[in-house]
Amino acid sequence: MNSAKKKIAFKTLGCRLNQYETDALVSDFDKAGYEVVDFKEHADVVVVNTCTVTNQSDQKSRNTISQAARNNKGSVVVVTGCMANNYKEKLEGEDKITYVVENNRKGSILNLVDGHFGGELIHPEKLHADVFSYQVVDKSLHTRSAIKIQDGCDNFCTFCIIPTVRGRAVSRPLPQIIENVKNTLANGFKELVITGVNIGRYEWEDKRFEDVLEAILSVEGDFRVRISSLEPDGFGDDFVKLFSHPRMTPHLHLCLQSGSDKVLLRMRRMYDLKQFEHTVNLFRAQYPDFNFTTDLIVGFPDESEDDFQESIDAVNRYNFGHVHTFKYSVRKGTRAERMDNHIPDKIKTERSTRIREASEDSRDRYLNSFLGKTETVLIEGINKQQVANGYGEHYIPVHFKAEGLEKNTFARVKLVKVEGRGEDARVIGELVG
Amino acid sequence: MTMDFKPDIKLDETFYKVKEVRRLTEETFSLRLPKSRFTYHAGQHISLGIQGDYQSREYSIYSGENDECLEVLVKEVEDGYFTPKLSKLKPGDLVEVNGPFGKFKIDEKKTADHKFVFVASGTGIAPFRSMVRTYPDLDYTLIHGVRYGKEAYDKDEYAPDRHILCTSGDKTGKVHGRLTKYLKSASFEKKTQFYLCGNSNMIFDALEILKDKGFDRDQIHCEVYF
Ligand SMILES: Cc1cc2nc3c(=O)[nH]c(=O)nc-3n(C[C@H](O)[C@H](O)[C@H](O)COP(=O)(O)OP(=O)(O)OC[C@H]3O[C@@H](n4cnc5c(N)ncnc54)[C@H](O)[C@@H]3O)c2cc1C
Repeated sequence: MNSAKKKIAFKTLGCRLNQYETDALVSDFDKAGYEVVDFKEHADVVVVNTCTVTNQSDQKSRNTISQAARNNKGSVVVVTGCMANNYKEKLEGEDKITYVVENNRKGSILNLVDGHFGGELIHPEKLHADVFSYQVVDKSLHTRSAIKIQDGCDNFCTFCIIPTVRGRAVSRPLPQIIENVKNTLANGFKELVITGVNIGRYEWEDKRFEDVLEAILSVEGDFRVRISSLEPDGFGDDFVKLFSHPRMTPHLHLCLQSGSDKVLLRMRRMYDLKQFEHTVNLFRAQYPDFNFTTDLIVGFPDESEDDFQESIDAVNRYNFGHVHTFKYSVRKGTRAERMDNHIPDKIKTERSTRIREASEDSRDRYLNSFLGKTETVLIEGINKQQVANGYGEHYIPVHFKAEGLEKNTFARVKLVKVEGRGEDARVIGELVG
Repeated sequence: MTMDFKPDIKLDETFYKVKEVRRLTEETFSLRLPKSRFTYHAGQHISLGIQGDYQSREYSIYSGENDECLEVLVKEVEDGYFTPKLSKLKPGDLVEVNGPFGKFKIDEKKTADHKFVFVASGTGIAPFRSMVRTYPDLDYTLIHGVRYGKEAYDKDEYAPDRHILCTSGDKTGKVHGRLTKYLKSASFEKKTQFYLCGNSNMIFDALEILKDKGFDRDQIHCEVYF
């Protein structure tokens, strides 16, 4: 394929797991001799890795597919990801899409595309199905690499479509994970993000999530470890001890979803606010500035003003570094869809605005509490003005003057000023020493 | 380098022929399916589909781990989508079983020296029948809240002194009123393991009562149906 390198473009929507899976595909195609181009450029193949977690993600995925087809007339359009599972037949019926590949066969898209150009038309259902068969991600893409340890979920939370589109919980065997970690580190990555759909449910032989983390931490190398997102009931009290490891970053994204115990039960989330608080206190007793970030759903069916207020109170109480708020959106086929008392959109919007305000205040307070302190920042990029950006160990976005430094190296930075608010907030720092 | 790991093929989607439909009340029935290779832990649930229908619903397993059949207990919900269809099934019809799922299980290490209190509303009794049949020596008390005494499904299978029926719509139960009335008045040993199953309103109220009595959330296990 050297004389006329085929061009391929990717677009990813949704979660970190999807991003990781795209990154692995990019590395796959790159190694196979394809030229990976920007999504805006014309390509011979476009892969859209979709998301279906909310109505909004469906809409975005649909728009992206249309855009991909419009900009690349006559090219191969591959649609994969959770929307491909959720609306498979509908998507297969659309002329603008060449192939619809379900999540469990996503790792084999190179075979499909290679086959296509070789005149061998494979039906995606014939591709090898394996949710873990991904390439080790190449360093040129990011400075952080996800390590996928698990896929699927069978908690059956009443609002969630994920069990339907990602399938039941499966765990990657520990030796495979460790091999993946070593290869990823050999590719030059300095930060590993432990990823999956519900990683706290990891179960392989007698190994649980904590064992996986411990094993990863003991691999040799100059790197640090972050945990992507965790359910509040996915670990025991001993979990906190692992954070004393120098490679462990003091940050957890712990999905609370609601501050009301009543709503949590109707969501089929089997913890209560007190248990969540216990975890927060346990960690902060040892690491006072530990960063907790979370997800909250606003306007779940039958959520009363009091229930909602409990979510606001939680935001105000736990000093979250970031709160990702979702306005509840009905997913077809979920138990919540069939519940009574759906909240009118006007009220949902009004509650979203209020909780977003509280969340931004919380983020602001959290970031400001770091002024004068020093963070170890992994440099993700340096612009023409020699300003570097990256995240500190507490997952604080930091910008600082970095003359003479390089991308993908650690720098000690003193934090001096918070700029911006909400998603755009960042801390300006000064290089130490 | 592509991983050469291939996961074991697991049979987790299977069609089963209905063996028997056991009518327990006008609305409630149990479906018996051949168990064949299906293994599970008492307390877990399956997801059930009907051949030709795209929807599925979850059901706790009603049979014990060592029983011959895989059994579920179903209440036909008026205006429900799925249960009216389930209730029309006849022996020989095909259903699709997925699973087992769930962490609502007995901790085997505790069976010898802990007391177990099972709190169920309506068909929420299903996982407890499975637990009682699986662990015949379990030191348990089953508190079952229903509207009418006739909904005390398979009552004779439980030792009378372990089965506390609370009826809110007639006076046939040991307790006349909701199960929460009984819970408020009862006392339990400190180390008791509580299992609550049924609708979320009952579970919420029962949790509050138990927490007020000083029990830790960690010793209270919940399975929410709706
Ligand atoms: C983990 C789990 C285990 C379950 N186990 C059982 C079981 O063992 N037996 C069982 O009958 N159901 C069980 N359910 C409920 C079951 O999955 C269905 O929701 C139920 O059978 C009604 O289905 P439907 O389509 O007819 O009505 P749906 O459209 O699903 O529900 C309509 C309404 O019916 C009411 N409802 C739902 N389930 C019940 C019920 N069991 N009794 C009275 N009212 C109800 C609720 O108000 C609900 O909103 C379980 C649910 C979960 C999540």
